[in-house]
Amino acid sequence: MTLDILCKVVDNYGDAGVVYRLARALSDIDPGVRLRIVVDGLDSFAALAPGLNPQADVQTYRGWTVLRWNHRWDGFVAEPPCLVLECFACGRPDFFEERLFDPARTERRVVVNVEHLSAEDWVDELHLMPSATRSALVEKFLFMPGFTPASGGLILDRDFIKAKRLWDAARSGGLDALAQARTDLAGRLGLLLEPGWAGLTWLTVFSYERDYRLSAAALAALSSRSPVLALVAPGRSSQPFLDAWEAAGRPFPALPLPFLPQEDWDQLILAGDINIVRGEESLARAALAGRPFIWHAYLQDGGHHQVKVQALAERLAAFFEPADRATLVRCFLDFNERERDAPDQGGGEDMAAFLDLALGKRDAFSSFGLSLEQNGDLAAHLMTRLRKIM
Amino acid sequence: MLMTSDIRVGTVFKAGGDVVAVQRLLGIKGGRNGQVKRMRVKNILTGQTSELGLDMGEKFEDVQLDYHKMKLSYIDGDTWVFMDQESFEQYELSKDDLGDNAGYLTPEDDFEVEVAFYEGKPVSVTLPTSIVRTITYCEPGVKGDTSGKTFKPATLDTGIEVSVPLFCDIGTKIKLDTRDGSFQERA
Repeated sequence: MTLDILCKVVDNYGDAGVVYRLARALSDIDPGVRLRIVVDGLDSFAALAPGLNPQADVQTYRGWTVLRWNHRWDGFVAEPPCLVLECFACGRPDFFEERLFDPARTERRVVVNVEHLSAEDWVDELHLMPSATRSALVEKFLFMPGFTPASGGLILDRDFIKAKRLWDAARSGGLDALAQARTDLAGRLGLLLEPGWAGLTWLTVFSYERDYRLSAAALAALSSRSPVLALVAPGRSSQPFLDAWEAAGRPFPALPLPFLPQEDWDQLILAGDINIVRGEESLARAALAGRPFIWHAYLQDGGHHQVKVQALAERLAAFFEPADRATLVRCFLDFNERERDAPDQGGGEDMAAFLDLALGKRDAFSSFGLSLEQNGDLAAHLMTRLRKIM
Repeated sequence: MLMTSDIRVGTVFKAGGDVVAVQRLLGIKGGRNGQVKRMRVKNILTGQTSELGLDMGEKFEDVQLDYHKMKLSYIDGDTWVFMDQESFEQYELSKDDLGDNAGYLTPEDDFEVEVAFYEGKPVSVTLPTSIVRTITYCEPGVKGDTSGKTFKPATLDTGIEVSVPLFCDIGTKIKLDTRDGSFQERA
């Protein structure tokens, strides 16, 4: 089977990240599947996938053929596209389109629109819904990632699940075992941990620009009881967080991180006690990790992102005791309240309440993560579907 | 070629090998850079209805249709009878064929609609983008609130319910966008 995966990079590394993980998961399931990945942002892809050449029009990477978006590759003439994963309705390169809709072709072709992740109810209704193209021979359907058994689920790639088990075992082994695992991870990633940092409450920070002043104050208060180490990812949230931390008098240690490839970032999320994440790819990892997290959603017109935040928060809240649910949903919504992404926007959340829930009700996050695993692997669901229809 | 974004209730297009007419728009859903238009369509060759989810980037072939300007003459149960304003011939469409457009029309209207014919048979109706209707029921209007940002449900003289700003009252004539039923302005 040959699968063509199409991806356009719209925001940062999320789109490329999902595609890279999906490709790895599909190859894990069936190493015999030939993947041809067409990407318009090879720089983003290369940042996540060590060893990939961002300059090459065509290259072989991990056994896949990776192509630049508009490159007129002869391979699509020799073997025209037949099974296509069009990620996030990204469209198709012109040359690819010509081959896909070549009027001389008489065999059936299938395009799958692998859509964005959302926790909203309509995801279940749209999952596997027929779509259409202009040709009777090119069928199309929707495939919806999601948080429910009736959706396509989340990608449970082998490396991530294996790493999760190892980190779960380290946590079960007590603080010394966890600290040792973190020290080993820091060594592998080249992070300079000072003595004692490996045993602190690890908080990863990866969001859009926002006002972190009240959060820093709440973290400072927490740190007086349970010392915190903030691991600050590079990018849009780094400076606003560090400025707030600085203004608060550096009440806990903060470690700016280098840019990490996908597998390393996964490890850091799993090593964290609390993860502040943005985007769909890191959200999926944080949720699956079964650790406390809060999600900073991509800003949408008219505040529509809050609809998505509420849907997610309510799914998560179902794993909390009734008395805590409203607080959790409120924290998620307040964390996302803003008109634009800027260092003076948002920041009205009751972070202290969230931290109390995060550290006091870890089991609820863990149960949520487990439920997502039980929904099954998106890549396996997809492969099963493709085998059934072809 | 027709883009998904051009498709509205009443549009007839080729989806795969089928010629379909859109009866209802069931919502536009999606993430940050992609949207899916969910719709109920009727295969005008077989009469079967189904749901489709079309993403915005897809292109479709137009279908060769003949359009005739007509007025709704009368309604007989689920049959809607239109009269050609030039030939005075009458043509029947079922309420299902009109889909959501049925909710914007009454025989008393003096505006014309376009009835699309495929191979000599009427298959769908296209409305003017904007029409004026009268509110027959809503909660009392709130004086002073002219922001138009907060909405309440209102029943129109055709019987359907739409969302209108708080300042509207029973008897208010409003201009609606027939593509999505949204309030445009007081008429």
